[in-house]
Formats: sequence, structure tokens, C-alpha cells
Amino acid sequence: MKTLLLAIALATEILARVDAARNTMNSFAVDVDLVATTNGKTETAKYRVYGKGSDRSVVEFVAPATEKGKYLLMLRDAMWIYMPTASRPIRISPLQRLMGQASNGDVARTNFAVDYNATNVETDGDAWVLDLTAKDPAIAYARIRLWVDKSTSEPTRADFYVVSGKLIKRATYRDHGERVEIEDLLRTGNKTEMRFSNRAPHDNADKMFTKDALGKW
Amino acid sequence: MLIKLAFRNVLRNGRRSAITLTVIVFGAVGLILFGGYKARTFWGLRESTIRGRIGHLQVYKEGYSKAQSQKPMEYALDDAASIRKQIERDPRVKMTAAQITLMGLVSNGEKSETFIATAVEPPKDRAMNNQKITAGDDLPDNESDAVMIGKGLAESLHVKPGDYLTIMTTTVAGSLNAMDVRVAGIFTIGVKEYDDRAIKMPIAGAQTLLQTKKVEKLLVFLNNTDDTSAVHQTINRNVHGIEIKEWSELAPFYHQVVALYNGIFGFLGIVVFAIVVFSVANTILMSVFERTREIGTLMAIGTTRGRLRTMFVAEGVSIGVIGGVLGLTIGALLAFAINKGNVMLPPPPGYTTGYRLQIMLQPAVLITAFLVSFVTATISSIVPALKASRMKIVDALGHI
Amino acid sequence: MTSNDVIALDGVSKTYKFGKIRVRALEDVTLTIGRGDFIAIAGPSGSGKTTLLNLIGCIDKPDAGRIVIDDVDVTRTPLHRLSTLRLNTLGFIFQTFNLIPVLSAYENVEYPLILQNVSPRQRDARVRRWLDEVGLADQWKQRPDQLSGGQRQRVAIARAMVTEPKLVLADEPTANLDSETATRILDLLAEINSRTGCTFVFSTHDASLIARAQQIVRIKDGHIHDVDAARAA
Repeated sequence: MKTLLLAIALATEILARVDAARNTMNSFAVDVDLVATTNGKTETAKYRVYGKGSDRSVVEFVAPATEKGKYLLMLRDAMWIYMPTASRPIRISPLQRLMGQASNGDVARTNFAVDYNATNVETDGDAWVLDLTAKDPAIAYARIRLWVDKSTSEPTRADFYVVSGKLIKRATYRDHGERVEIEDLLRTGNKTEMRFSNRAPHDNADKMFTKDALGKW
Repeated sequence: MLIKLAFRNVLRNGRRSAITLTVIVFGAVGLILFGGYKARTFWGLRESTIRGRIGHLQVYKEGYSKAQSQKPMEYALDDAASIRKQIERDPRVKMTAAQITLMGLVSNGEKSETFIATAVEPPKDRAMNNQKITAGDDLPDNESDAVMIGKGLAESLHVKPGDYLTIMTTTVAGSLNAMDVRVAGIFTIGVKEYDDRAIKMPIAGAQTLLQTKKVEKLLVFLNNTDDTSAVHQTINRNVHGIEIKEWSELAPFYHQVVALYNGIFGFLGIVVFAIVVFSVANTILMSVFERTREIGTLMAIGTTRGRLRTMFVAEGVSIGVIGGVLGLTIGALLAFAINKGNVMLPPPPGYTTGYRLQIMLQPAVLITAFLVSFVTATISSIVPALKASRMKIVDALGHI
Repeated sequence: MTSNDVIALDGVSKTYKFGKIRVRALEDVTLTIGRGDFIAIAGPSGSGKTTLLNLIGCIDKPDAGRIVIDDVDVTRTPLHRLSTLRLNTLGFIFQTFNLIPVLSAYENVEYPLILQNVSPRQRDARVRRWLDEVGLADQWKQRPDQLSGGQRQRVAIARAMVTEPKLVLADEPTANLDSETATRILDLLAEINSRTGCTFVFSTHDASLIARAQQIVRIKDGHIHDVDAARAA
């Protein structure tokens, strides 16, 4: 019992350090270059992401030209998409988030410290391996195994599990979090690589993160 | 005297009366055969829809329909077991079946497709017998992760019985879940759009996938479709917190077919009616002209115009009665003959197999056929009767 | 006009229109016929005798003048009400017999009584009596197409008489019969007239019938030009 409690305490602390290392900015903007490989074919896309806090972000679609002008609003419990051809934004159901890049959006924005409890820690070479359990049954991935570099406290790898215990995705973090590679473990050969650049503080008004504001700026 | 006169006048010109009667009989037989075919079609479609797919009644949690919820199982029955026990106490109820419908992605490791699944209780689903199994077997009773795949979906994912797939969906709470399943069998219900997306899975498996112990709905099957409303009311009285839909509210395709057929046959009926009216009217009119002098005589010796009209209408009525009885008999006999025979019809809209022609003889159809013959003949005689009564006596008497 | 006259015509005219042509069938006819008379209306064809008979028979209406039948001014009565008068007061005998082909002799004679709503027992009695009177008791079941011309006319006579009319009108009653049958029919009519006192009015150009008439009304071109009160002596 004491070992368990000790493990949890350690895990939680490591998690806190991860959190501190990762999101140093409250209100920010960052450019994202995305390369998606599906069945051998590659597609690229560019986005600009505006974030505030840990649970609000708006993704502006910059490239390719067919996607330009679309906006994605990601809140804690909901996702909305705005397309220039539609008069109002459309809510994306949790089910629809299974498909396409929206599922990777869920992975990319996972806030380990806020949404998960650390329940165990192990060692794997230079890294701690944390067992994370979702705090809320509504959270997309029920369990995560997170590899954290012992010296930098930065995550190097995360395995995402669903409720049944099946491993669905694997994220590999490189270049101090500026590169993330997400593998779809259900469909071999499918992976997405995201490069983050020009991360800088950006004053984002609260009302930017409402569905009615989507597309109007 | 009036009846005697009417019948004798009908029999007077045997050949002409025979032709008129043939037309009326044709109309009556047509009504019986088409009406009977229509009735049989409706009955067949109704019963197969009910027994194979929607049940006589469906029970949901109160608020289900209004919510139209995007979240799966937001309004679900929490105490299905006790509700079922109560419902099944009624001797009119044959069985109940619990179901959940869900959507998600199914993947064979290389490719994913969206699916729509009906999660069922395997023994109840077998009783419903809605699909044709083209490969493999039905859902086993005790394996919660064996599924049946629609033909089109199986082809798209290149699977055969025994292969494994992964299905993914979101739990009732909203988080992702995935499950490996074994393909037990491949099925078709004869509708391509359905077969391209359909999965049938055990309800236990769906509940694990969705992380719930509830069921979305209960299908209630009765012994007799006519009991539907009565049982609906009984359940309403005894069980609370639920809402009930009758099969009629859940079968838009059935209603569309009914409307279509009624429209077609209604139009045909009008055409037949018009032909019969004109034909009979023409015959009686010819008879009136031939009897001009007789009509003049009758009026001269004191027959009122009203009485004369009645006389001719009585002839129309007589033809109608004879024609109606003949039509009924011939129609019924023909229906029997067809039912015993083996005439095959092409598949109806939306289906892929043909079926044997059957005529349903219902008292309502027979009575209608008789009444229509009778009424038609009577109506047909009105104009000729008016013509007869309006003749000028002097001119009529002078007629050759 | 007294009640002794069963028919009274006063200034009666009738014109027919055939397209643009107008034909004066009767012009200003005044005539009375007493009860129980046996009258012949004689004249060539086109003289208007059929028209006269039609007007008296209340199956047509005059354009001018007044007609009184059995003390009823029929010119004032609308045509459709006259059917009752014809039923109860008049009897008709036609050149072409005009029996109802689908009815038997008995039923043909019975027909007017049914119109009069006479009880079945009474009907039977009267029909049998009159069939007997005209000598067709044995043929009561036969249909007209099974009877000779003379027999058919007898049935017609029985039919006309069975309602006990005040007046019987006969348009060329013997024209379709051979001379021997014609004579027998005339005998019958005369006999009925003298026995019952029913008035008989004929239109005819049969000389032997004219000879038997009590009175002869000669008509030509729509005018009455002669009324012989008695047979030529």
C-alpha cells in the first residue's frame, strides 16, 4: 500500500513538471505544418492555432487551398467546424471525431495534467513511464501511458488506450515538443506528422472561442 | 309488378343484356382481383415489416423521441428487465426483444468504413428472421464479440466468416472505445443501401462497447396485429416513465406503398367505373328508344312520369343485382383458382426477389364489388329513365 | 254544357310547327258529345282527326279554346296531372294494339288496376270478368306475341274497360285487322257500349265502322264540316 501511494505521488509530481514544461503560455498562437500518410499516399496541410488556457483553441485552416477559410473550434466538451460555404458552424459529434484529422486533433491537444490522474510510475531507461487514467468518462482516451524524459521532464512518447484497453494511437514527441508523430495503430501505415513553429504569446479575446464568432474574423 | 316487369324487361333482349352483364361482371371481377391483390400486398408488407423489423410496438424511455439526441443512449431504458416482465405477462404478447442501434467505424487493419449496427438478442433476432445469410452462421447465443456483416460491407472490407475486424465508436459518456470482433456470418436483407453499412451484433457486446447496462428500446411482438392499440393502452396503464410507438408510426415505407397502390388502383377503379357506367347507360338508353311507343302507351293509359322513371331505374337495379351476384361469384372463383396456381410476380420496389401472386378475399372487398356494380348500374339507368319520362306522349305514340 | 255531355270542345285550335313551317291541324273547333254516345270521327288523312282524338284523350294540349271532359276543364289542368284523369276516366284502344310485350294477357289487363291501387282480390275478379267479356278467358296466360291480331285487340279492349272509364277513345281500331275479325271487334265494341253506357269515340275511315256509328263527325282540313246526328236514313 505504501509503495502504491508513493508511486502515485511521484507520478503526479512528474506529471506536474511535464505540464509546467509544456504549456508555458496561457494565450498563444502557433503555426502547424501537417503531413499525413494514408496507405502510402501523402497529403500536407497548414494551420494556425490560437489557444487560450488548456481547453480552448481555434484552428484556422491555411492550406491547401481547398481547406482555406475553414475554422475548427475545440472546446473541452465540443468541437465545431465552420466552412465558408455554410451559413453557420456545424457541431462535430464525438462519433464524427473518430474520423479524419479531427481524431488527431484530440490527441494533439491532450492535456495530461488537467484531464488525467497519474496512478503509477515505472522506469524505462532514461524515461519515466506514467500510467494515466482519465478523470472523466467523457474524455476521449480512457488511459495513456506516457514516457517522460528524466532529465528534461518532456514527454517523448504517449500510448493512447480506449476503454476496452485496446491501444489505438501512439504519439512520438521530438525536438522538444516541436514535432509530434501520431501513428494510427488500427490502420497500419497511417500516420500523421505535425511540426509546430512560431509559437508565441498572442492576445486572444475570450469571445473568440465561441461558436458564433467562428468564421467572422 | 314493378320487380316482375323490371326483370322481364332485362331478359327481353338476351344478347344485349348479356353484353351489359359482361361489362358489369368485368368491373366487379376486376375490383375483387385488384382489391384482393392489393389487400394481400398490404398485409404481406405489413406483417413482414412488423415481424421482421419493427415489432408491433416499441418501448423507449420517456423523452426519447422529443430529444432526438445526438449522444448515443442519452434516453435509454434503465430497467428493461422488469419492464419486460410486466409486458410479457399479457397473453396477447408473443415476445419482447431488446435492441440498441449504434454507429461507428469498422476497420480491417487497412481500411475503415462507417457502419450502422443493430445490437440484438440473438435468439430473438433469429425468431424475427429478417435476413438471408449468404455465408457463415447466425449470431451465436453466447459470444458477445461475434458479429454479422452486411454483404456490401463485407465485400468492401474483403472479409469472410472467421475473419476479425475492429469496430470503433464512442461510449455513452463520450470517450472512444474499440473492440475486436469475429465475423460469424454475412447477410443480406435485399436492400443494397442497407447491406453496404449494416452490422448485427449481440446486445451484450454493444453494451460493453458503449459502457452501459441500459438498452435503447424494447420491441414488443404480439400474436395478433389487431391487438396493437389495446395492448398499447394496457402497457401505458401499467408501466410508467416510458413512451410507446405503434408500428404504424414506424413504417413510412409501408404507408408510402399503401398510398401509391391506393392511388394507382383508385385511378384504375375510376376508369373502370366510367366504362361500366357508359356501357350500361348506353344499353338502357337503346332499350328506351326501342320501347318508345310502349312508353307512350304506358303514359297514355295513366302511368305517371315518376312511375315510369322508377320502372327504368328498377331495370338498372335488376341488372346491377344480377351483375353483382355474377361478378361476386366469378370473382371469388377466379381468386381461388389463382391462389391455387403458381403465377410469379417480379420483385416489388426496393426488394430483390419475386413472389407468388395471391389474392386476399376479404368480405369488405366482396361487398364493395357488389355494391359498386349495383350502384353503378342504378346510376347508369338514371339518365335513360329521365329521357323516357320526358318523352311527349303524342310523339312517342307516333314512333315506329 | 250540361252534365249530359261527356266531352265539350269550345273554339279549340292546334298548330304544329315543323321547323319553319306551321301546320294548322285544328281550327276553331266546337263540339259536344253526349254520355253513352257511339261516335265516329271521319275524314281523310291529314284532316286533323288524330289531333282531335289526342286533345280529347288529354295527351296533348290545344293552343286556344277550352276542353271539358266529364265536367273537368282539362285545358286548365297541367299535363302531368292529367295522367290520373286518363287513368280513371279514359280508356285507349290503338290501331297497333300497343300491349306490353313482356306481360301476359291477364297482366296487361291487370296493369291499370295496379296503377289505381285496387286490391289484389278485386283486381283478379275484374280482370277475369273482362277477359271473359272479350272471350279470352282461356288465353289469359298468353303473351301478345302468341296471340292473333284480333285477340290482341280484345286484350286491349279489356284493358281499356277494366277501369270502368266514362269514355273510350279508339284511333283506327280495325285498321290492322282483316274484315271478318274487324266486324267481330266492332260487334264487341257496340255491345259493350250499349250494355255499359260508356261513351265510345273512334277516328276511322273504315266505312263499316262509320255505318255502325250513332253519330258521325266529319272533319276536313282542321274544321268540323258536318255532324250527322243520326245514320243516314
